[in-house]
Amino acid sequence: MSRYYLYGITRPRELPERLRDQGISLVADDNRAAVVSELHEGPVEATRRNLLAHADVVESLHEEAVVLPARFGYALESRDEALELLALPEIEELLERHEQTCELTLRGKYEEAVLAEVGAGLLPLREAYRAVPSVEAGIALGEAVGEGLAARRERDAAIVLETLGPLVLDVVKSEPAGELAAFDLALLTERDRVAAIEKLLEELTARLSPPLHFKLVGPLPPYSFVRLAMPAVV
Amino acid sequence: MQRESSAGYITRAPRSSGLADVLEILLDRGLVIDAYVRVSLVGIELLTVDLRVVIASVDTYLRFAEAVNRLDLRATDDSKSVPDLFQSGGEELAESKTKGAVEGGMDAIREKIGLGGRDGDDDDEDEEDEGRSRSRSRGRGNDR
Repeated sequence: MSRYYLYGITRPRELPERLRDQGISLVADDNRAAVVSELHEGPVEATRRNLLAHADVVESLHEEAVVLPARFGYALESRDEALELLALPEIEELLERHEQTCELTLRGKYEEAVLAEVGAGLLPLREAYRAVPSVEAGIALGEAVGEGLAARRERDAAIVLETLGPLVLDVVKSEPAGELAAFDLALLTERDRVAAIEKLLEELTARLSPPLHFKLVGPLPPYSFVRLAMPAVV
Repeated sequence: MQRESSAGYITRAPRSSGLADVLEILLDRGLVIDAYVRVSLVGIELLTVDLRVVIASVDTYLRFAEAVNRLDLRATDDSKSVPDLFQSGGEELAESKTKGAVEGGMDAIREKIGLGGRDGDDDDEDEEDEGRSRSRSRGRGNDR
């Protein structure tokens, strides 16, 4: 009996040769297919190589048609278990919902000049720190700058979302990583709206002060929008 | 795989291109099907440690304070317009002027919180500043 590693779920189709050569195959019913590879005994290791391979499989299949990417590290114990999963009504609903969608991840980062703008309104604290650069004065000033920066992040994330408006179907916000990070957004959109979003962001960067640096990745499979409301099963 | 927009403000990638891109989406997002599938994983702990920089730390606040002070001094001490500052020797002049004040402050802080002198770090900061100034002025040129 075979055990399978699960990459994601898609519609039945011909797999590209490159993936077949890597041992990727489909376990399919009439209308849905689990993307799998045979798994040997032992745990799945979360190595760089394995993580990138997982992303490569779901992302290259998503270029052609809908893929619901699985979280890293799931194993199916048998073919029957795969078929049982595919038969869930929630799976069909998600496949239909994401037939034409894709995810874009958008990270914004400030230039250091943002600190000068945020600090502009903090004259008393700045003067106190310059007069006596003690740890206490530094923390008081830095804390106020941190608060100002947090407000700025909120404001700019809101401006981005407002600008993109109805082009975006859904959003998941993450805590931005890094001191000068502005925001970290996962955007759900339609595949044919990606170019329009890119254009709006180009225009937006020029309008913001100081300019924000965006990193836009995608079109990706809808990683952040495949939450399954699990039925209570035994 | 990555390209930059003409103004240099958007980095564009069609696919996840490195561990930093995939780590969060694969470990924290994606289809979760616990009721049907058994998870068998090793190595996650190592990967998730230090994923996030904690913003609210004393260290960060002191860095913010130092940066605001430095940027503020640059703005008030130098009457030149910003583009001029990035040409000729203008920047070095401003740099050396602010340096004295800021470093005095930082030394006092380091002494108090027991960090000691960190000459190597200071050198790094200088290089970073110069690099940033260069790329900023280049961005402006392309903008027009």
